[in-house]
Amino acid sequence: MLIRLIGGKVYDPANEVDGEVRDIFIDNGKIVATPPHDRRIDKSYDIRDRVVMAGGIDIHTHIGGGKVNIARMMFPEDHRNDPVSRTTRTRAGCGHVLPSTPIAGYRYAQMGYTACFEPAMLPINARQAHMEMADTPIVDKGAYALLGNDDFLLRMFAANKDQQIINDYVAWIIHATQSIAIKVVNPGGISAFKFNQRKLDLDEPHRHYGTTPRQILRQLAQAVYELGVPHPLHVHGCNLGIPGNVETTLDTIEAMEDLPIHLTHIQFHSYDNEGDRRFSSGAPRVAEAVNRNSNVSVDVGQVMYGQTVTASGDTMSQYRNHLLADPNKWMCMDIECDAGCGVVPFHYRERNFVNALQWAIGLEIFLLIGDPWRVFLTTDHPNGGPFTTYPHLIRLLMDRSFRSHMLSQINKSAAEASHLTSINREYSLYEIAIMTRAAPARSLGLKDRGHLGPGASADITVYKDQVNKEKMFAKPEYVFKDGELVVQNGKIVKITQGATHCVKPDYDKTIERSLKRYFDRYHTVALDNFKLRAEEIKGNGSGVLAIHPCRTAKHA
Amino acid sequence: MFALTARPLQSVDLSPLIPDQLAGKSIAKIKAIELHCGNRSIAVEQLFKVSGNDSENISFLRSSNQLNFIGSEMSYGHIEIRGAVGDFLGKRMKGGRIHVHGNAGNWVGNGMAEGKIEITGDAGDFIGAARPGDQHGMSNGIICVSGNAGDRTGDRMRRGIIIIHGNAGDYCGSRLLAGTIIVLGIAGKLTGYGMKRGTIILGRRPKSIAVTFNTCGQLKMEFLRLLFRQLTHMGRQFKAFNELGPEVERLAGDFACGGKGEILVLQ
Repeated sequence: MLIRLIGGKVYDPANEVDGEVRDIFIDNGKIVATPPHDRRIDKSYDIRDRVVMAGGIDIHTHIGGGKVNIARMMFPEDHRNDPVSRTTRTRAGCGHVLPSTPIAGYRYAQMGYTACFEPAMLPINARQAHMEMADTPIVDKGAYALLGNDDFLLRMFAANKDQQIINDYVAWIIHATQSIAIKVVNPGGISAFKFNQRKLDLDEPHRHYGTTPRQILRQLAQAVYELGVPHPLHVHGCNLGIPGNVETTLDTIEAMEDLPIHLTHIQFHSYDNEGDRRFSSGAPRVAEAVNRNSNVSVDVGQVMYGQTVTASGDTMSQYRNHLLADPNKWMCMDIECDAGCGVVPFHYRERNFVNALQWAIGLEIFLLIGDPWRVFLTTDHPNGGPFTTYPHLIRLLMDRSFRSHMLSQINKSAAEASHLTSINREYSLYEIAIMTRAAPARSLGLKDRGHLGPGASADITVYKDQVNKEKMFAKPEYVFKDGELVVQNGKIVKITQGATHCVKPDYDKTIERSLKRYFDRYHTVALDNFKLRAEEIKGNGSGVLAIHPCRTAKHA
Repeated sequence: MFALTARPLQSVDLSPLIPDQLAGKSIAKIKAIELHCGNRSIAVEQLFKVSGNDSENISFLRSSNQLNFIGSEMSYGHIEIRGAVGDFLGKRMKGGRIHVHGNAGNWVGNGMAEGKIEITGDAGDFIGAARPGDQHGMSNGIICVSGNAGDRTGDRMRRGIIIIHGNAGDYCGSRLLAGTIIVLGIAGKLTGYGMKRGTIILGRRPKSIAVTFNTCGQLKMEFLRLLFRQLTHMGRQFKAFNELGPEVERLAGDFACGGKGEILVLQ
């Protein structure tokens, strides 16, 4: 079936198209070049004066896996206060900051997003996480496997094993969990917490294994690089949320030398400890370091005001935060000695000095990093705020007067302490298209997503061009997923099932021999049951596994 | 006025039909309000015949026990219900008055902060209690049940008064944080189980009391005179309080949880 989108203003940064009026042709779910004149157009949409972008890609959003479920269980009021009715097409569900799986898919699609990536999937939880993502309709998904605190890896570090063996283990995990990248959360810190260390700096040795976060980061980043995994090591660094942690963040960037690295929810890692309250913005220093080091990319993890729940694998920082829980309930737990899980509800308030400054720091990072190809738009859903706040965030970035207005509403001392008033930058639609579409796709190695050139999958979002960018981005006029119209004027018109993206780096399979011994001796499941097979993703035929090529492996 | 015309097959969430939200709305607009029914949405007019123009005094006629969340989060006005009501009557209400001529379901006055709920029939379990996930149950207000109450009356209640003229089920006043529960009939097993503070006043000695309660003997508690006199001013149905107190048998507990609470058995 040939579909033609007539006369939209196209923003396609991957192909350097900036607001040009042109037609887009979709054939069998793919975007194609202008077909010959004699071919019959089956359906055409007149989208003159509309803004056309590729479908949005959220590079960091917690939509599946253990911690989200624990948060759901702990926070039933979030669910019962926001019920969603069933319609002829969509299923019933509930939840505002932690929507149930189908609702998450619908809401993302209604915002024009067509792919979401779960950033912290514990290998042991992979089956559960993928099942939940399979239950998230319309959008594509993928997951990053969480390493860096698991006993097997830390033992290898402690025994000074060869980099090659570590590479094999990392690749084996990527295969066994059907993931697309590797994430590390508080390298070594979650494990150290279980050995009664309450803080682990970049160069502080682990009490039991003797490893330092610097070593873990370097070797994992090296492994990811050498395996040719497109997305660099996804790092949630040390000392999250501690005033003064900007030094750690800068040291981490320094420690990587030229290795590619992605620093996630960098807002939570950009706090300085100056001023009367020993809490200030470290955003300019972080932004400057990111601008200087082209091997570094970041996503922001913007804080948005309102009730939310923070769910993280970082038990060390969640334990530190538990006194701030609002409402007053929280939990931290170990998960199979592989890592941990901490859930603490938060209510970010604009009148609160710390919350207001967190909000400002996030925006400063957005605005001070010059290259939109290396800064992605996230709220670290649900930790900084639910993903449904993205349109509001986009307006804050694109509209300086709106930003000043919001700045005037927040805590006065925080507003004075922030650098926002002196920043005049406004993001353009082209730059928004980079940070929410083209750049995440490129970073993850998705060659056929995030752009509108011939050969790309037809994930397309059509917006009405409005002055109020919040309204514009909240309710696209049309959303196409793989060439099918799924959302029209904010209403779901068709349910499709997105693909699960993953990579399959090459590795030496003999690693399974030592893994088998380890699993038999220590693990709760057998090695063969631990591995998630491609057939399980495909399920009853509704799931699709999209395997993306790795870069040609480079060995050190 | 809302007269039920069709008996709903699944429970309906009536939380949008409160004075706060109906004020200034035309009948046509009210008829179009969407309600959650089971896992679907239906319009008000599919269930009710709507009439009248006084949004401050709402009445539900021929009510059914499938109608949940009546008066949820209301802050003023009066809701009168003829017939049974479902669960969560007056959930988190912040003011106003609800009067039920019939039986009520579970979770009456869940998390209510202010206001008054009167039920002429029986009420279900968890009156004024905290729902899982909530920090505490009702934080103020009065709930008065003329009939019997189910189990767990006032579970984790924080402040306010619950009056049961009939009998109460098991675990009456369990995990009570503070507040007053009065049961004039017989209370069930393990009354006051796990209570931290607060007062449970009973018309008769309950079936069983946990071993973590200590009897403090017969006492004359003058505050009961004040409390009961205040209650008699509140309406005809409270007349009985004129003849009660102030002599009681006092049981202190629950000593497994600090033991600052008390059960007073009227003599």
